[in-house]
Amino acid sequence: MTAPTLHRETPAAAAAPRPPDPRWLLRLHRPALYVWAGLVAVLAVGLVWLWGPLTEAAADAWRQYGACADTGPCAYDQDAIVTYKSVYNYTTVPLIALPFLVAAWSGASLFGRELEQGTAHLAWTQGLSPARWLATKLAVPAVLVAAGTGLLVALHRLAWSAGDGRIDTAKSWYDSPTLHANGPTTVAFALTGLAGGALAGLLLRRTLPALILSLGLAAGVRFLAGLAMPHLWPAVTQVTGLEEGYRASGLTVDSGLVTSTGAHIADPGCGPVSSYSGCDAVYARLDATGFYTTYHPESHYWALQLATTALVLAVAAGLAVATFTLLKRTTATTRPTRERTAQEPTQEQAV
Amino acid sequence: MVEYRIDRHSGVATYVQIVQQTKQALRLGVLRPGDKLPTAREVVEATAINPNTVLKAYRELERDGLVEARRGLGTFVRRGLSTAPADSPLRSELGAWAVRAHEAGLDREDVAALFTAVLDEHFSTTADRPATATTADQPAPATTAGRPAPATTTDPQAPDPTPQGDPS
Amino acid sequence: MTVTDTALAASGLGKRFGRRGAWALRGCAFRLPAGRVCAVVGPNGAGKSTLLALAAGLLAPSEGTVTVLGTDPASARARVGYVAQDKPLYPQLTVAETLRMGADLNPGRWDAETAERIVSAGELDPGARIRTLSGGQRTRVALALALAKQPELLLLDEPMADLDPLARHELMGTLMARAAQYGTTIVMSSHVVAELEDSCDHLLLVGGGRVRLAGEIDDLLDAHTRVSATAPAPEGTGDTGLAPHTVVESRVTGRQLSALVRPSGPLPDGWRTAKPSLEELVLAYLRNPQAAPLTPAEPAEPAGRPADAEALA
Repeated sequence: MTAPTLHRETPAAAAAPRPPDPRWLLRLHRPALYVWAGLVAVLAVGLVWLWGPLTEAAADAWRQYGACADTGPCAYDQDAIVTYKSVYNYTTVPLIALPFLVAAWSGASLFGRELEQGTAHLAWTQGLSPARWLATKLAVPAVLVAAGTGLLVALHRLAWSAGDGRIDTAKSWYDSPTLHANGPTTVAFALTGLAGGALAGLLLRRTLPALILSLGLAAGVRFLAGLAMPHLWPAVTQVTGLEEGYRASGLTVDSGLVTSTGAHIADPGCGPVSSYSGCDAVYARLDATGFYTTYHPESHYWALQLATTALVLAVAAGLAVATFTLLKRTTATTRPTRERTAQEPTQEQAV
Repeated sequence: MVEYRIDRHSGVATYVQIVQQTKQALRLGVLRPGDKLPTAREVVEATAINPNTVLKAYRELERDGLVEARRGLGTFVRRGLSTAPADSPLRSELGAWAVRAHEAGLDREDVAALFTAVLDEHFSTTADRPATATTADQPAPATTAGRPAPATTTDPQAPDPTPQGDPS
Repeated sequence: MTVTDTALAASGLGKRFGRRGAWALRGCAFRLPAGRVCAVVGPNGAGKSTLLALAAGLLAPSEGTVTVLGTDPASARARVGYVAQDKPLYPQLTVAETLRMGADLNPGRWDAETAERIVSAGELDPGARIRTLSGGQRTRVALALALAKQPELLLLDEPMADLDPLARHELMGTLMARAAQYGTTIVMSSHVVAELEDSCDHLLLVGGGRVRLAGEIDDLLDAHTRVSATAPAPEGTGDTGLAPHTVVESRVTGRQLSALVRPSGPLPDGWRTAKPSLEELVLAYLRNPQAAPLTPAEPAEPAGRPADAEALA
């Protein structure tokens, strides 16, 4: 039995300040981890399949189709083309939906439920300060989310590039789902979903409302980023004659008619003059001399991707900062300076 | 080793119960000089009472010279109260008297009343101080205590309550 | 002997939820010396949980300060154990996984043996999911988590509410043993006074968001007297003779006056006096919200008592 005095046995005799092991978080969300790993694996397998065999088969089919004579029956592998298209859609759409999944999980499971059930309080009184709790809950999933979505967008870009120009029905680079599935914006959206979920969870402290707000935030960021994207890099303007119609191919910012003074006016929608004879009179009345298109050619792809990614990541950082601020205001934080330094020697002696 | 049983409805302060049960064990020879009392930890683990209550009782026993605390070792019995150990002639005489009382048709309460009356006649009621002192831990209304209630809280024989409850 | 001899202290402490919300707690001032077992008593909604959450650093005070183990609650976090009223645990984890989480979160402080002993005393299957446990079993796991981090201060919000009498006695014994062996300061709330009477030596009575009584239970009981007197005053004058003393509660039935007072001098001869029980004291204050609070900020205490330490060993 024990010690001669009440206080001689100090409980924390062996206390050595070590940071808590972040594995607790992985253990806690093991099902989510498995689901995430499974989703990434399935999509990755699909994309690799698309990239290799399906692209080759579909490209072959299109070559056969192109070689067909204009008349008579044409033998080509239609199934390969259909399969390519299906698998392309079945991989692209889930990939761009992943950020919403992350947002829903973050708002509901990672944060909302913890505050609703009070288990956050358990963590905060188990040697984990609220700030460290939040930092761990953001950092560990952020790494896994970034790694998963990063891998998938890279594979998607490879698969899309392999078919580009070889498959007639392949999506253009500026097709909205393809544009985001091909680049880092999807990674940034997913990280924003994670941060938005944290804010929603801490703000509402309820699972379902946090899920809804988190999804709303993710959708809002996605929508606004889509609106902003074409304006984040200087676009080029192409002017074409009234006979030619619009010729530019890329991410369009604006288009319409050019007048003789060079002013840009709205296009009444008549089309090139060759298409309908009445258009001549319309254009003459409007003093139109040609069509203009303000757009991003494919050469702007990386500039647009990176600028949008930076913008969305800034939003994610803003959401994270707001979450930390909220947490700091609601829970006790260390009192600065004087009092603490005065106490430190005391603690050492006590331990 | 003595085991304490705390009766929270007895109206007797918890620390007094420990003192009384220790003295009883000393009288009956269950505890003998040199025996070790259970540690406060052991007592409170079994009884769920406050550790300072045990300390207070042990202090009381120490003040009476019955036990002594040895630093780092524990609390030990210094002297017994075994004027009438379990196998003494006095006890067997009392036993024989009880048998006779039973044969005479007295029931348990009659015997108790008779015994208490004789006890009161021959022993002063304030001899056993803790039994009648103001009970600081668990004071009970005088009506339920079954013993004379202290007239005021300034009973000179009441144990000093202030140092109670500081283990530091 | 720890250097910091105050386990918990508050000064002007107040908390309200929302900028315009009602005050859950206000003007709280008390000091709890280290090594005490303190009962926080009061009706439901009195502010007990708020007070404990403030001390645990889960809430930031709206005004005033709370000092825990000589520092602020956030800095003391590693040295404080806390069990919330609803005993939150992760339902998807097993008992064993929950304890392992405790070990992960408290590196260098975790006492796995203590945790396992408390859990196995309840004959809990380590592989059982938390969501399948009863309220009492959850309490046991929550207490195991709080105790195994070897806190110097243990804050327990209604710890015994879900327990059957047997488990209540056993776990209270475990807590008391902790206090005896390590001098752990324990603060437990309850709305049932009798539940804590034998185990606690210090009292914080919270009512209406304020601290009504604070101090050593013995001192508080000594400071109060139950008096009863016959025909205290001529009919109609209303002079009961209680005036010089602080009256907590008084009642005149016919010619019989009975009251609970804090005497500020000798009481008249002929008055019958008795010491109140803890429950009587608490009830009298709760029935009479206007009674002046008694919260000595600096209760007198002797510096140290070596004899006690020896008795423990």
